[in-house]
Amino acid sequence: MNNHVRELRETKGWSQGQLAEQLDVSRQTVNAIETGKYDPSLPLAFRIARLFHKSIEAIFDPDA
Amino acid sequence: MPRFTSRDYRRQMLVLTTIYVAVMLLVWPHARNASSLPWKIVLALAPVLPVVQLIWLMAKRAVHSDELEQRVHLVALSTATGFICVLCLVGGFLCAAGVLTVGGDVLIWVFPVLCVSYGAARWQLARRYGGLGCE
Repeated sequence: MNNHVRELRETKGWSQGQLAEQLDVSRQTVNAIETGKYDPSLPLAFRIARLFHKSIEAIFDPDA
Repeated sequence: MPRFTSRDYRRQMLVLTTIYVAVMLLVWPHARNASSLPWKIVLALAPVLPVVQLIWLMAKRAVHSDELEQRVHLVALSTATGFICVLCLVGGFLCAAGVLTVGGDVLIWVFPVLCVSYGAARWQLARRYGGLGCE
């Protein structure tokens, strides 16, 4: 699944480690999500959406 | 809940492994020569205590992991368990058929083989997700 997590994180000027800390996950998990190797669970997707003040659909694109 | 870091895990694992080696070298050899049966049982089972503690530590690590890490732990453990089951089944049938003669002490190797299989499976899965540690 394609997502815009990397662009949103870079817009905020955060490192992967800083984002991971805010989401209470490991940096490797953030990296796996950004590279599309892992699709997060619904609760984690909601946490990501809330953190960036966006809807889940605006961040994750299941059709891509 | 504070994350249980890889460093914490490795440090505690090192302590437990050291205790296990010390017990195996200093305590366990006396089990065969112990005079009373209760004392023999105590000495024979002494190495189990640090191993049980180690298993608890591994479970703690999995519980404190995030969702991707837990997924990796689960798949790796399932793969390792499946491998051990097949190995035991093959060995059991060969023993039953009289092809192979294996003593009961081979059971000591179940946990180490499970750990090695788990480590190999976990390494393979971590590569798939672009490198993964429990930090």
